[in-house]
Amino acid sequence: MNNPVFNRLILLQFIAWRNIWRNPIRSGLTISALAGGLIMLILYAALLEGMSRQMVTYATDISSSHLQMHRSAYIDNQDIYATLPWSYLTAFEDSSLPVKIAPRLYAAALASSKDNSTGVMIKAIDPQREHHVTKLLSHLRSGEASFEPKQKNALTHYPVLVGAQLARNLQLSPGSELVLVTQAIDGSIGNAIFEVTGVLKPLEPNFDRMGVLMSIKAYQSLMYQEDGFHELAIKAQNIDELNTLQKQLQTQITHLQKQTPLDELGGKVIIRNWKELNPPVADMLELSGTMLLIVGLIVIGLASLGMINTMLMSVHERTHEFGTLLAIGMKARWILLMVVIESFYLALISAVIGSIIGSVIAKQFEDKGIDFSHMMPDGYDWAGVVFEPVMKGYLIPEQVFQASLLMILLTMLAALIPSWRIVRLKPAEVI
Amino acid sequence: MQHSKILISIKTVSSPLSLSTLLFLIFSLPVKAMQADELVRHIDSLWRGTTSHAFMTMSVKTQRYQRNMTMEAWSLGNDYSLVVIQKPIKDRGISTLKVEQNIWNYLPKINRVTKVPSSMMSGSWMGSHFTNDDLVKESTFEQDYDSTITFEGLRNNQNIYELTSIPKPNAAVVWGKVVMQITQSTLAPIKGLYYDEDGHLIRTLTFDQIQKIGERIIPMRMTLQPIDKPSESTVILYNDIQFDIPLTKNFFSLRNLKQRH
Repeated sequence: MNNPVFNRLILLQFIAWRNIWRNPIRSGLTISALAGGLIMLILYAALLEGMSRQMVTYATDISSSHLQMHRSAYIDNQDIYATLPWSYLTAFEDSSLPVKIAPRLYAAALASSKDNSTGVMIKAIDPQREHHVTKLLSHLRSGEASFEPKQKNALTHYPVLVGAQLARNLQLSPGSELVLVTQAIDGSIGNAIFEVTGVLKPLEPNFDRMGVLMSIKAYQSLMYQEDGFHELAIKAQNIDELNTLQKQLQTQITHLQKQTPLDELGGKVIIRNWKELNPPVADMLELSGTMLLIVGLIVIGLASLGMINTMLMSVHERTHEFGTLLAIGMKARWILLMVVIESFYLALISAVIGSIIGSVIAKQFEDKGIDFSHMMPDGYDWAGVVFEPVMKGYLIPEQVFQASLLMILLTMLAALIPSWRIVRLKPAEVI
Repeated sequence: MQHSKILISIKTVSSPLSLSTLLFLIFSLPVKAMQADELVRHIDSLWRGTTSHAFMTMSVKTQRYQRNMTMEAWSLGNDYSLVVIQKPIKDRGISTLKVEQNIWNYLPKINRVTKVPSSMMSGSWMGSHFTNDDLVKESTFEQDYDSTITFEGLRNNQNIYELTSIPKPNAAVVWGKVVMQITQSTLAPIKGLYYDEDGHLIRTLTFDQIQKIGERIIPMRMTLQPIDKPSESTVILYNDIQFDIPLTKNFFSLRNLKQRH
């Protein structure tokens, strides 16, 4: 260990460290500013990631699921005759694909309760299968998700769940009677009597205002539709493997169509993933990454201005000292290096402190979230997705590391400004 | 025919323009207008009279289903009507009551009466190509449209009047224009053409199987066809119809709607 350069580097580091603490208050303030900026960036990233994940969760878990399968005529016109046969459902369940599936049926109808009538949108589900694919049936404000028919006065009453806004408009609550009238599949007037057993929390604006949820059995007694179903909701085990799964399903569809050909009028079978089903959510997710970078640059950039100020003052105060060092033969680049090392130490301390504090608070956000329940009891609607009123964060260690790295880089870049001043010193003038 | 006589009279006047010619021309205009109004009222009352009682069959053919229904219907003037489905068994007893501008349906399966809201007026009636709006608006045709005779003469080897009806400015109607072709000899309608506001033909209503019932000459079959789906149609065939039977407004009540099935 006789390397003079190495010895000098060690000496410079030691001197730089001591130089930072010549003015502890000023350095402390600088570290606070940088750490504060980093903390804010970490929290912003965590909240943004949390919001994104909540968005995906609500978009997929409560209603749409990860993938959906339809006939093209159904997608184009809500053609209630464009169905997939029940044998396809059986085939998918018997296959080895790692998915959960649930069939659905839809229709428009006229709903009457006492003296009020309004148009509604019927959604029919298989309660047992739906339970494995979405959390739709537990998304209740009042009542319960019960689907067993009841006999009253020699009439069959089928249970339904209704959207919250629809419940208000027709003055419905659990126990209310609801009459639905529609045109059945065979052209006849479909009609049946229903009992409201639960009111759903908001899940999407249209359904909230017009939605009536019933079992497929109830739907069939109203619509005389036995041939098949309109929609297959598919939940993947791993949401990150949707593309592969989509191809596998398409292959299986092609195979099934050879066995059981479908009618021409319904069009071909189309499988769409949740991003295709809900473009606003997908667009938001793409945008959030860019937003995070831009906000990061702004926040850390502003904090770095404080760094520039600190280093400029520090260098200015030591002009005489630098002059003396230059006079006795020390090269300017060594002095420059010393100043840069000082900046690095400030940045490093800030990064460590900021990361720790930011991560701790972000973890709190992840566990408890920010609760807006008293302001928005039913959550809020954004881009067609209804959010719960508790905003949750989600901490990703990689993001913490990247934010810290970004801060250090910007800080070192900022340090070049005062460092440049040193290179231009002339010993005779400053000694 | 009265109109033709006037035309003949005009032709026999000598060529120099004279006061009598001017007078004839002036008087012919209101006469022609009256003729159009009379035609409209005549068509309106063709199947109704003061009261009527009819048995009819409706056959609906669409790309997706075919459906036949037998119905019994009563009417009083233009504002009251009651239609009860007799067959098929599944729909037996389903009834539609119209009182002025309102429609109710009685549904025996659930023993309930439901009112058709205004938002559902464009919906299909009993799965056919007729709409609820057709039931409601037929009674106000004269008030909603300005009608003129736009053609008079020979077409398809038949002497016809062509009656063109344009909606009045404030009328709440769905059609931009309705053209009705009526035979001159019997004043029976043979075809109705319905155009949208852009002038596109949307559907045609064809009348045939002319019969004489009492003093009336009535088409016993009408066929409604959408232009965009030529293979689809709704055919209403009158098996029997009687006019001027004793009926009062009380017959057309919600209470009676429930009881009569």
